Amino acid sequence: MPDFSNEIRKRLAGLQLSALREHEIVEELSQHLEDQYEQNLRGATTEDEAYRAVLVSLDESDLLGPELTRVERQAPEDSVVLGAERKSNMFADLGQDIRYGLRMLARAPAFTAIAVLALALGIGANTAIFSVVDAILLRPLPYKDPGHLVVVWENATHLGFPKNTPSAANFLDWQKQNTVFEGMGAFAERSFNLTGVGEPERLDGRRVSANLFDLLGVKPIVGRTFVADEDKPGTKVALLNESLWKRRFGGDPSVIGRSLALNGESYTVVGVLPNSVRLPAFGNWRDQVWVPLAFSSEEAADRGDHYLEVIARMKPGVTLQKAKAEMETIAARLAQEYPKYNVRIGAVVNPLHEEIVGNMKPALLLLLGAVAFVLLIACANVANLLLARAAVRHKEIALRLALGADRVRLTKQLLVESVMLSLLGGVVGLGLAYAGLNILTRFIPADVAQAETISIDAKVLVFTLAVAVVTGLVFGLAPASQASHFNLNDTLKEGGRDSGAGVRGKRLRSSLVIAEVAVSFILLIGAGLLINSFMHLRNLDPGFRADHLLALNVDLSEVKYSDNARRTAFFDEVVRRVQALPGVRSIAVAGNLPFTYNGDSMGIAVEGIPDPPSDQWPDVIYRAVGPGYFSTMGIPLVRGRDFNARDTLDTTITVVVSEKTAKHYWPNDDPIGKRLKAGATTSDGPWRTVIGVVKDVRQNDFIAEPKMQMYLSYRQLKSLMPNALVVRTAVDPLSVASSVRNAIWAVDKDQTVANVDSMEHIVAGAVARQRFSMLLLAIFASLALILAAVGIYGVMSYSVAQQTREIGIRMALGAQRSDVLKMTIGQGLKLVGMGVAIGLVAAFVLTRVMATLLFGISATDPVTFVSISVVLIAVALLASYIPALRATKVDPMVALRYQ
Amino acid sequence: MASPILDRELKKGSAELLILSLVEDRPRHGYDIGQLIELRSRGTLRFNIASLYPLLYRLEKRGWIRGRWVEKSGQRRRRYYRLTPAGKKVLAKQRDGWVEFVEAISRITGIQYA
Repeated sequence: MPDFSNEIRKRLAGLQLSALREHEIVEELSQHLEDQYEQNLRGATTEDEAYRAVLVSLDESDLLGPELTRVERQAPEDSVVLGAERKSNMFADLGQDIRYGLRMLARAPAFTAIAVLALALGIGANTAIFSVVDAILLRPLPYKDPGHLVVVWENATHLGFPKNTPSAANFLDWQKQNTVFEGMGAFAERSFNLTGVGEPERLDGRRVSANLFDLLGVKPIVGRTFVADEDKPGTKVALLNESLWKRRFGGDPSVIGRSLALNGESYTVVGVLPNSVRLPAFGNWRDQVWVPLAFSSEEAADRGDHYLEVIARMKPGVTLQKAKAEMETIAARLAQEYPKYNVRIGAVVNPLHEEIVGNMKPALLLLLGAVAFVLLIACANVANLLLARAAVRHKEIALRLALGADRVRLTKQLLVESVMLSLLGGVVGLGLAYAGLNILTRFIPADVAQAETISIDAKVLVFTLAVAVVTGLVFGLAPASQASHFNLNDTLKEGGRDSGAGVRGKRLRSSLVIAEVAVSFILLIGAGLLINSFMHLRNLDPGFRADHLLALNVDLSEVKYSDNARRTAFFDEVVRRVQALPGVRSIAVAGNLPFTYNGDSMGIAVEGIPDPPSDQWPDVIYRAVGPGYFSTMGIPLVRGRDFNARDTLDTTITVVVSEKTAKHYWPNDDPIGKRLKAGATTSDGPWRTVIGVVKDVRQNDFIAEPKMQMYLSYRQLKSLMPNALVVRTAVDPLSVASSVRNAIWAVDKDQTVANVDSMEHIVAGAVARQRFSMLLLAIFASLALILAAVGIYGVMSYSVAQQTREIGIRMALGAQRSDVLKMTIGQGLKLVGMGVAIGLVAAFVLTRVMATLLFGISATDPVTFVSISVVLIAVALLASYIPALRATKVDPMVALRYQ
Repeated sequence: MASPILDRELKKGSAELLILSLVEDRPRHGYDIGQLIELRSRGTLRFNIASLYPLLYRLEKRGWIRGRWVEKSGQRRRRYYRLTPAGKKVLAKQRDGWVEFVEAISRITGIQYA
């Protein structure tokens, strides 16, 4: 058998085929020639004649070369596909698709820019919120095995404290009796005045069990943590936090062993802990110093004073349920042993992570949902743009199909184009997210742990990439599948006009707009509800007048101001000096200002009323204040009188109660002149005579109903110290801050002044969480509204352009401009109406998840629902009015000539 | 036999139809297709290798037929072409078109088939 392959190869030489393709053609053709040769031989010719006859047929019409050139030239890369494995070509195809896609995007810069911007807004919002969610909810706490860490509380739900801070004696019993924890540590807030190194400074800090930091698995930056031996009274050792160490000691490791004057006593620094250590805290408490808890023997035996917080580490293999069950058992046992204090007191065990970030969870999840919605709207917008463009590209696609393009390949190519769009959007969105985060982090409430770890890291980048790719596939799918499904013949017959396949396209575009309207309606309702409930919150009466009020903390040293006389002298002098300052109306001494402290309450005994059973003893919040406190704060005095300078330890011991307290104890009598005392009737505290009744003040919690309150004059207290000043001003309160500070330092140059702030700002901080979610949701909802408006506008413009001919005919037949306007706007309104209807139903169901975030209104507040519907319809009207107006400008003659 | 020019034009118009028809009910390799055309047209139509294969490749490129290398024991592998679903639709259309065309020609030229 002669070999024909060389003869064939010679004739393919000019074609520049790939090696594989050439090999295939040669193999196939030489087989053909061999078959022919064999047949020729059967015709009884000689081998030589048969061979020549075959060669003649090969060259018969000299067509092989030219014909093959035409076929093979179309897409040289494609030729490899035949018979070869698909997989090896994926990337070659992809490269080609990407190059083609880039050319197409570059050719329509306006389209590309709008689509990329819409996607960037959607993807950027998602990236920003995800990085917040990641830092706050998903990232493990910076401790060893954080999943095993729990917080243990006393459960005093019957007294209104479902998570009560345990007393020292109870904590010590828990520690001794439990078998489920590897270790249990307690801590309590304590502030320190740092003196002797530069300016005096007040520092937030805690007393902590010596084992606490080992329990958490915290490694000190320098030095060591506490040892068990140091957890006893009289040991004066301290740990500093990283910021304080760097700020005050220049990050010098030799600080270890150095003595510091804290609250007038000398402490030795033993270690420095990283900033990542943040114990659960109320308000803006930021630990900078830690000292050992070191219970005195009286403290260790006290079950009545509840002030500790407890963290424990579960042993390996112990479940939360088991830990809960055992703690409940121990609490029940303690309740039997010490019925006076512990009756009906249970125990609560919660994961530490939940305690630290749990209260941000509903708001963050809501926002994550909201940005997903925004992205969906952006997707719908871009899909609409692509659909409109697909109509324009009909001819291109039809041509490519006619030339033999593979539909699957075509679909893939369109998808590659949309994914490229969304990747571009992702890149721009990342920039937006970065800029947005800088602003956003400012609105995160100060007490949110982990907030400072918010950043765009690898995890966030991966998230953004994934979102971008999925987004591209989502919005690209509809146009791509539509493009690859259309009927070639119809398209060619239509002469490139969009009608036949256009009907389906139009329906798709319309449903996208309906969906957009529905989704943005849901978002707007969510935002509307939050804004509404925030308004309700802001309209709540805190019980005092927050405007023109300056607040500052003045923590006196226990050593320097150890007795009442010294404290009174100090405060009297400060009050006298500040009172004389220009711009100051009045000043008063205060203790634990509203919204800055979560403690100080006690049960009281009232003369003439038998003590209630210990499990029904209501708590009364108490505050130590000075004369003029009520008038300076703007707390209305309902009956009786205010404290004055004549109320001292030597005169009648007095008390002022809140209206709620008065109503509870003396519902039918005048409370003035009645007497009460701290603790039980049998306690050795003095009887206090009620001299006045004031309005209720929201003390700890802005949202909850005020609890019972009473005020004591600090001048009649031996141990309890006031720690703040309030100044009512005639000018901007912060403008007098420095002169007030100087007045204090003129009395005592070592006295610390801290947290100088306007009361308005403090109140705003109390609703920071609500403001955070309201603000963000409002931003995202506005974004959604804008995107939806752009979407409606785009579809209406497109549809007007498509109907130019129809409108022209109508006008030629006598339709008025107003008819055309009505028709076009009517079309827009129909879409919006359907969207609103769907959104209404969905919002009705979905907003229920927001119930916990709302205040003062229901999740289905009719006012919000109606007003949002009106807003959305108005915006939609406007969005379709502009294209409609354009429709009325159609010149019938031009329209009729148009194609 | 028609003149070479007419022959070429006719072939061009009908070649696709012929090939699609031949691979309609089962896959065939190129030589087989060439042989069948010659055989069934009783020698009137002949495709040489130089026009047959470019045509096959073009049809394949359009996605109307698909070639696959098939190996049978004792034989060298051969490339078999079969009709794709897209090809099936094209074939049906081309058939209708051809019938119309022939009828139209007949009506004009008065040629009647028995």
